[in-house]
Order: sequence, then C-alpha cells, then structure tokens
Amino acid sequence: MKAIIAALAAGCICGGVLAAFAAEQTVTQKGKAFSQTAMTIKKGDTLVFQNDDDVVHNVMSSVPGSEFNLGAQQPGSKVSQAFSKSGEISVICAIHPRMKLTLTVVD
Amino acid sequence: MFDAQNCRRLTHRAAASHGLCLAAVAGAAVAIATVVTNGFAAPADRPLVVAVASVPDPTIMSLKEKYRRPAAIPFPKDNPYTATKVDLGKKLFFDTRLSAANVLSCASCHNPAYSWGDGQPRGIGHGMKPLGRRSPSIVNAAYGEIFMWDGRAASLEEQALGPIKTDVEMNLPIDQLIERLKGIPEYGPLFQAAFPREGIAPGAIAKAIATYERTVVSGRAPFDAWINGDEKAISDSAKNGFALFNTKARCTACHSGWNFTDDSFHDIGLRDEDIGRGKFLPDVPKMQHAFKTPGLREVARRGPYMHDGSVPTLKAVVDLYDQGGVDRPSRSEDIKPLKLTDQEKMDLVSFLNTLTSDMGPTTIPILPR
Repeated sequence: MKAIIAALAAGCICGGVLAAFAAEQTVTQKGKAFSQTAMTIKKGDTLVFQNDDDVVHNVMSSVPGSEFNLGAQQPGSKVSQAFSKSGEISVICAIHPRMKLTLTVVD
Repeated sequence: MFDAQNCRRLTHRAAASHGLCLAAVAGAAVAIATVVTNGFAAPADRPLVVAVASVPDPTIMSLKEKYRRPAAIPFPKDNPYTATKVDLGKKLFFDTRLSAANVLSCASCHNPAYSWGDGQPRGIGHGMKPLGRRSPSIVNAAYGEIFMWDGRAASLEEQALGPIKTDVEMNLPIDQLIERLKGIPEYGPLFQAAFPREGIAPGAIAKAIATYERTVVSGRAPFDAWINGDEKAISDSAKNGFALFNTKARCTACHSGWNFTDDSFHDIGLRDEDIGRGKFLPDVPKMQHAFKTPGLREVARRGPYMHDGSVPTLKAVVDLYDQGGVDRPSRSEDIKPLKLTDQEKMDLVSFLNTLTSDMGPTTIPILPR
C-alpha cells in the first residue's frame, strides 16, 4: 500500500514537473491567415488557436501520426491542442486551406 | 473608364450599377465604383460614350495587379522539377495501361482537347459507368492548395494515385500497377533516369505524374494582355463585366487572384444531395454542400459547369448566381440574389470569355513498349 502511495506521489510530482516545463503559445487567425507561417515548439507544449476573424475556421492536420481536427471554431473563440510527438506537422484550416502553419515539434 | 491611357467609353448601365455597389464592397472594388461614377448620373438603360482624362488611375492599376500572372510555376521542395520527371510523368498520364481494363488513362478525364477536363457532366469510370462528380480541369493545378472537389487530397502527389486504384475509376491496385509497369521494358530506363534511387515505385509514379501536371498552365488570355496595358485586347462589355465581377456580382468573394480561386470551400446553393466537404467536416454547418472554388482560367471551354455538371453554359452560370441558389443554413453568406440586368449578365459573360487563351495543341507521347 505504501508502495502504491509512493508511486502515485512520485507520479504527481513528475507530472507537476513536466507541466511546469510544458509551455503554451498562442497563434491567432486573422485575415484568413495564421499569425505565423512556421514555428518551433517543444514536445508536450500546447498551442492555443485564437480566431480573430469574422468567419468560422477549422484548424487541423492530416500528417500521419499527428492527425488532429479541432472542429468548427467560431469567431472570437479559442481552441487548443497539445503536441506529444516530435516531428514536422503541417497545420491548415480545413475551410481555408491557404492558411498554413508549419510546426516543428522538438524533443 | 478602364482605359486610363486612351479615352474609352463605358455605358451608363455599368456606371449606375457600380454606384449601387459603393456601400457593399470594400477596398479596390470601392475605388473602382468611385472612379466610374464620377460625374455619371444618366438614365440606366441608355449607353453613353464617356471621355476619360488620360491620367493613369492608381486604383485601377492596383486592382489589375491582383490579377497579374505569376512569373514561374511553383514546384514543391520534396518534388522539384526535372525534365526527366516531366517526360516520364507525361507518358504515365497518357498511358491507358494504368487502368485495369487498359482503356482509361489520366487523360481520359483530363483531356487536353477539352481544356484538360472531359466535357461531360460527370466523369466516366471503370466499365463506362458514370462517376459522382464532374471531372475537374487540371489547368493550373500547380498553384492549388488542396485537391479534389471536396479537398480530400492534400497534394498533387497524393491525388495522383487515387483515381488509378479507386475501383469505380481506373480500378488498378497499386501493386498490380507496379508489376504491370515492370513488365514494360522501356519504362525501366525512364524511371531510372527520373528516380535513380526509387525505380518503379508508387512514390515515383505519383511524383512523376504530379510534376507533369504542374506544367499544364493556362496560356496568355486577352485578359492578360489587358492587364498588361493593351486596352484593345478586350471589349468594353468585358471591361464592364470585370467591374461587375469585382463589385455588384460579388464574384471575387471566392474567385479571387490571377487564377480566380480562393482554394476554399463554399456552398453556392446548388440543388444537390452531395454534401461535398461536409463529409470530412460534419460538425461545420457551412461545409455541408460545400465544394472547392474552381479557377476560371480557360473557363469558356470547360463546360458544363459546377461539381455536378448541371449548368451547361456560362450564361446559365451567371443566371444561377443572379438567382442566389437554394437558401439553406450551409449556403455561403456571399451567395444572395444579385438583381443583375440582362446587359450586366452579358457583360459578365463577355468578361469571363476573356479568360480563355489559345493553349494550342498538346502532343501525345509515344508510349513505352
């Protein structure tokens, strides 16, 4: 029992340490464009996508192994995505594919 | 009015309609309307010759700049241009042995004789059975951001193998395609020259076809000559149509830039059960019945029109947009009744016709045996 408690405590501490190192960055969407066309983040970091346009966007990636789809995002709203796998990820708006962000996730 | 160098004429009809657009459009389009309406307030149905001061108009010049052709064809970093790839890709593109029945090639649906479409309302696939949508032209595919009517292919390379292996299209599994090409002796050296490390492989086939497709670019049309300063290259009706295209008719909400597309997805209100992009984005209401905006280069020879080939002529296309299509939640906010006059519709068609060039004949390659 003590061992389980110790393991849980260690897990919490480790999780807290990892969380302390995980960063959060914001990418805005305005004028049917991402605020950055390329950026580098660390594995475990989170990107917040803010829709400053007056149209709906839909942030997604179809890169094998790193697929995600944040769905319909209304003007003025925020959505976020954590990246747990290193590599280069091409992020687009599924409605306006000229919106492109090349994301490099490093260890 | 669009001839800043020489005195040209503009009808009162167009001038009046442009004036109506002042509150509805932004940027350069507003600038056009402002210029056009200077001093014109005559009855809307009577043509008038308008003398224009021979002063270059910066607003018209800046608007024209938005439509200027790019200087070069873009090729991706991971599949750069080489002449050997184009040579191989062209042979593969025209080779009917890329289909199970040996009767369909890429060129069957993307035929240069039909401005790289097939001239049919719907494509024809394996067993001569009709497909669900019209075959899109591949003209200017090099400049595309996403491919297929519903955007299900992220690149030309990804798209290239799709029709070959799809059972209702060319119906040839890729492993069988590889074996078939390996059995054609003259293909070996072509693959070796273009892809010395890959040889006859799926990726090499896709890259070669994609590279060839990127070389299929629309020719210089009368519109381009006008953009470059030849005021006699297009008619006054077409110039009026260009103004309408940018203002009252709201066409540039989607058909923007030199290739006349925003590469985005819109429901234009066609009465059709096909949900298009909505299949991949089911939670996005505006993507139901939405299809990718096609470019308009060579458009006069690309009919019938729309993803379902349901609209036979450019005149009918303009009529459709004038009516505004089916009113439903997914319909684009940019689609609404336009109240165009008959003359304005004719002017729009005149303008659209200036986007078609003389692309000239395409040579059919001698295929490997």
